[in-house]
Amino acid sequence: MKLFLQGCILIASFFAVWIGLRQMDWVSILHIKEISQSTEEKLGDLYWDIYHKIEEEETSKSIIGPVDSLLNHIAEANGIDVKTIKLHVIKKDQVNAFALPDHHLVLFTDLILDCENEAELCGVMAHELAHMEKGHIMKKLVKEIGLSMLIAMTSGKGSPETIQYAVRILSSTAYDRTLESEADMTAVDYLVKANIDPEPFADFLFRMSAREGDLPMQISWISTHPDSEERAKAIIEHLKDINFEKKTVLDSTQWISLKENLKNE
Amino acid sequence: MIEKTNFHPAEHEAEKASNSYLMSLMAVVVGLPLPIINLLATLIFYLGNRRGTYFVRWHCTQALLSQASLLAMNSVGFWWTFSIIFKDEVVTNRYIAYLITVFIFNLADLVATIYTAIQIRKGKHIAWWFYGDLTSILVKQ
Repeated sequence: MKLFLQGCILIASFFAVWIGLRQMDWVSILHIKEISQSTEEKLGDLYWDIYHKIEEEETSKSIIGPVDSLLNHIAEANGIDVKTIKLHVIKKDQVNAFALPDHHLVLFTDLILDCENEAELCGVMAHELAHMEKGHIMKKLVKEIGLSMLIAMTSGKGSPETIQYAVRILSSTAYDRTLESEADMTAVDYLVKANIDPEPFADFLFRMSAREGDLPMQISWISTHPDSEERAKAIIEHLKDINFEKKTVLDSTQWISLKENLKNE
Repeated sequence: MIEKTNFHPAEHEAEKASNSYLMSLMAVVVGLPLPIINLLATLIFYLGNRRGTYFVRWHCTQALLSQASLLAMNSVGFWWTFSIIFKDEVVTNRYIAYLITVFIFNLADLVATIYTAIQIRKGKHIAWWFYGDLTSILVKQ
C-alpha cells in the first residue's frame, strides 16, 4: 500500500509540474513563432536570390496581372494575407509550379499555357497555396536536408551548392503522399470558398497523368506530383457532397489574351 | 528522496554496484540520444550481474527501474518532437511545458545517479524513495 501510494505521488508530481508549467505562455516567451517565421523568411530570400539568377522571370503586366488577379481572388476568399505571397512567373518550356519558403509561388509559363481554363490554373495555385499554408515546405526541407543544415544556411554558412540542392528539392521532387493528398483537399476547399469549380483541377490532373510516360522533362509538375489519376478521382469524390455557386474571376477575353500574350513572348 | 542504510559491502561489490549507475550515465556521455539506449545499457549490465551478490543485484535493479520510468517520459517527448518536425504537430505551450518537465526529472535523476554512484563506490548503501522499496520487493537475498 505504501509503495502504491509512493508510485501515485511520483506520477502525480510529474503531472503537477507539467500542468503548472503549462500555465506559462512559452510560445510567446521563447518567441517561437517569430524565430520560425524569421528562419523561413531568410531561407525564402536565400533560395529566391539563387533561383532568379539562373532563370528568366516574366515581368510583363499583361501576363502577371491576370494571374495575380486569380491568386488574389483565392487568397482573399480564404482569409490568406495576399501581401505575404510573392508570385513569380518564369519563362520556361516545362509544365511546373512550386512553392519556396516564405510564400514564394513560382509558376512556369508552359504550365499556364497548358491550362485549358482559369479554373485549372486556379487549382494548381490553390494546391501550392495549401502547401504554403499547411507548412509543408519547411517540413519537406527539414526531412530532406536536415534542421541543422537549414539553420546553418540562415546564418550564412551554407554553400551555394547546398542552397541550389535545396531549391532543386523543392522544385523537382515530390512531397510525400499524405502531404499531397492534404494539399489537394485543402485546394478544393479553397476553390469552393472562392466559388471556383474544382472539377477542372481534377481534369488537369487526369490530362497530365495520361502524358506521364511521354515527356518526363516537359511535365515536371506531374513527375513531382505522382499518382495523379488517383488524386483526381479523390477530388471528384470529395466534391460529391459539396454544393456551391460557380463563378469565373476573369472574363473570357482576359483569359484568351493572357494565353495569346504568353504564346507571343 | 535518498535513504542511507548501514551495510558494508566488499570492495568488488561496491565497484560493480556503482558501475550499474554509471552505465546509464556513460550512454549519455558517448552521445546516444535515443531514450531506449540508457535503459538498454542498464539492462545489459543488469543481465550480466543477475547472479552477482545481493548488494550488486539490488543496485543493478534500482538503476534499471529508475531508467525504465525515465524511458516512458522520454519516449513521449522524443516521438512528440518527431511529430513536430516531420508531421503535422506544432510547437505549443503544452509541448514546451512537457519538455521542461522531462528535463527537470532527468536532471533530478542525473544528480541522484551521480551521488548514488559515488556513495556506493565508498561502500554506502543508498536506497531511493519509491525505487528502493520496489527494489527490495523484487530482489530477494
